[in-house]
Amino acid sequence: MTHKLLTERRAAVRLCCSLILMALVLAPTGCKKKKVRVGATDEDTPKMMSVLNMGDPKVEPQLIKGLHGIEASAWRWTEKQFTVALRPPFGSGQKGARLTVKLTVPPVAIEKLKNVSLSATAGGSALPPETYTTAGDYIYVREIPASLLTGDSLRVDFQLDKAMAPSGADIRELGIIVLNIGLESK
Amino acid sequence: MSPARERRSPTLASAVFWLAPPLLCLVLYWRGFTAWFRADDFAWLGTGLYIQNFHDFLVAIFAPQAQGTIRPLSERVFFMLGFSLFGLDALPFKMVVFATQFANLALVASIGARLTGLRWAGFFAAIFWVLNSSGIEPLGWCCVYNQVMCGFFLLLAFHFLLRYVETGERRYNLFQWAAFLLGFGALELNVVYPAIAAAYTLLCVPAKGKDRPGGLSYLPMFAVSIAYALAHNAVAPAWKTGGYAMHFTGAMFRTLGKYWTWSVGPTFLFTPYYLPKWLLPAGIAVVSAGLLGFLAWKLRAGRRAALFCLVWYLAVLAPVLPLRDHQTEYYVFLPSIGLCWLGGWAAVSGWRAGVRGRAAVIALAAIYALMGVPTLLAASQWNHAITMRVRNLVEGVAGVHERYPSKSILLEGVDTDLFWNGVLDRPFRLFGLDHIYLAPGSGKRIASHPDLGNIDDYILPAGVVAQALQREELVVYDVRGRRLRNITAIYAALPGESGLPLRVDAASPLSSYLLGPEWYPSDGDHRWMPRRAALRMGAPSTPGQKLYLRGSCPDEQLRAGSLPVTVTVEDVTLPATAIRPGENAFELVFALPDSVVGKAEMRVTVEVGRVIRPASDPRDLGLVFGTFEVR
Repeated sequence: MTHKLLTERRAAVRLCCSLILMALVLAPTGCKKKKVRVGATDEDTPKMMSVLNMGDPKVEPQLIKGLHGIEASAWRWTEKQFTVALRPPFGSGQKGARLTVKLTVPPVAIEKLKNVSLSATAGGSALPPETYTTAGDYIYVREIPASLLTGDSLRVDFQLDKAMAPSGADIRELGIIVLNIGLESK
Repeated sequence: MSPARERRSPTLASAVFWLAPPLLCLVLYWRGFTAWFRADDFAWLGTGLYIQNFHDFLVAIFAPQAQGTIRPLSERVFFMLGFSLFGLDALPFKMVVFATQFANLALVASIGARLTGLRWAGFFAAIFWVLNSSGIEPLGWCCVYNQVMCGFFLLLAFHFLLRYVETGERRYNLFQWAAFLLGFGALELNVVYPAIAAAYTLLCVPAKGKDRPGGLSYLPMFAVSIAYALAHNAVAPAWKTGGYAMHFTGAMFRTLGKYWTWSVGPTFLFTPYYLPKWLLPAGIAVVSAGLLGFLAWKLRAGRRAALFCLVWYLAVLAPVLPLRDHQTEYYVFLPSIGLCWLGGWAAVSGWRAGVRGRAAVIALAAIYALMGVPTLLAASQWNHAITMRVRNLVEGVAGVHERYPSKSILLEGVDTDLFWNGVLDRPFRLFGLDHIYLAPGSGKRIASHPDLGNIDDYILPAGVVAQALQREELVVYDVRGRRLRNITAIYAALPGESGLPLRVDAASPLSSYLLGPEWYPSDGDHRWMPRRAALRMGAPSTPGQKLYLRGSCPDEQLRAGSLPVTVTVEDVTLPATAIRPGENAFELVFALPDSVVGKAEMRVTVEVGRVIRPASDPRDLGLVFGTFEVR
């Protein structure tokens, strides 16, 4: 067995030496002046949107805080406080606009919290709250005066009075489910 | 059998013997072979970036680095040479890693055959090693090449010891010494080799009269290992606290128990399947019983080579057993070779023992493979996927820089995995980019690991972002997709914060608007101040917050002794302090006066007791910054 291993070893050593020699010869051809491959980027400059569909990953930059990741390609859980930036729709600087939030209050939230109130502040101006006592789908609608819609964007801060605290089952703070937040022209 | 077939069969058997383990390795670790760089790789790739003279070169090669390690061949030379030849092309690095591992597999097979006297025992040892899930990181992550290379030198030295014992030719002893000494360039673990050589000589080499082939050639090696350990400890003292502190307590036995389970079962006892809780421990117990039963059987038969296999396992594992608080899956990569030799031997012996033996061999090998391979494939997939995300980020940033060479870059959407694998070690400096930042609020998306780094060091404050966007010095990209997406227009339209930041990175050109005119221009990752310099920044909101100054002070500045530093906030001079010789990287901390609490901004002035004027730089140089932070 030793003789066989020796013969095979010699062949293996010859093969290794040849490979190393080849690698040394080829190495300089691999020398690169450019240290990194330049990757393509997406330069289709997107515009700020007036309506944010929560299933669209492209709206992420306008979700300033308090919204978790996309679920079922359609919606997101919120935290107790969440904030978005919206582009005022065309003409809203004269006529004002309507803020709409399509949301779901899930049964688990009612089970744990009994009821939940949603209020908002748009551009620093408080909007009336709404209280949900049963699970279901709702639309939160509030009028936004034209005076708040003259800039490039409107910051809207939402606030829930309660939220489900992080737990072993889910380490996130969970408020309600949001499908869509937008500003619509009047 | 025809003569031609008689000739072919041994050739086919030889081909299977030598080629099957590396081919299986390539198939199972394909995701590792095609993975890119991540995390620590970038720190090592940058080893040669700041070399300007021979002294710098020596420091780059031999100075203790991460956790006080000195691995000139497997880390410094490997990455420096690779990066200078191939840049950020990972394939040549992976070719070297896998070529070394193929050599390791050949050595494991060859040594296993010699140890046991059974050719196919060596073969199965190599196969079992490939199936072991501890190979994921050594083969999938370039910076763990030290394990693969250390294995090569340990196995090669041991191979030459076997040849020396077989033939008595002195040249094999010299080769053994050469491999042993080179092994210190790969990994500190190499110090255990004399114990392996001694164990083999004493256990497996029968004495011929008063002599023993191989003799006491291992004794001087102990002296070398001890000298290396003492010298290493002198230049890089062992940690007394933290994750790498050594604990010579009973915890070593608990650690050994855990590593045993990772050696015969999946590392971290992780499996991608939902299995009953008892199943993995049961599988590990069955394989362990098989191995230890075979060991006992062979020892009763007087085959002490079986005990040597266990000694290899324990000797190679011993140096990491005191690391109670730092347990890593690849620490069992090299020790498990000993168990694989034992397993290969058991497989062939069992196969030859009749139907029951064959059934036992097939069952145990199947249990071992079914525990390790799914973990191996799942973890390799994870590793590959994260390196591809890192590659998209790094190459995407290179693309942005090519399009906007004069602008700084803000990254939006960096999450935990991407930050710790693709941002922390600043891969962008490898192609000359220092000014890459994370968007304000990124800290909320990234899990904190204070022992690894401070996320805030990478985040550009909202006020600075707003100013930079106004001056069109910044482009903003969303990194969540496969391609970086330019969202500068959206970002610029978002309601921004106008207040002054509580943290000012003085090195950043984007912070220039906060600095007084006396500051010198940014030098990329640092900025010099003259004797006296001022800046504006946010003031503390509550009493008790402190001001932190971080920067560096070169040796030339400290040759004349401690450097006095005076800091004034508004008109209040804070208690005088000094930077002492040796404190080249300084952090100065000051309590802030109550008079500035709640103010919109404050003016901070720093003055040093003297300046230097190096021959190569006509400027009056005070200190290098660095950051100013209120917290």
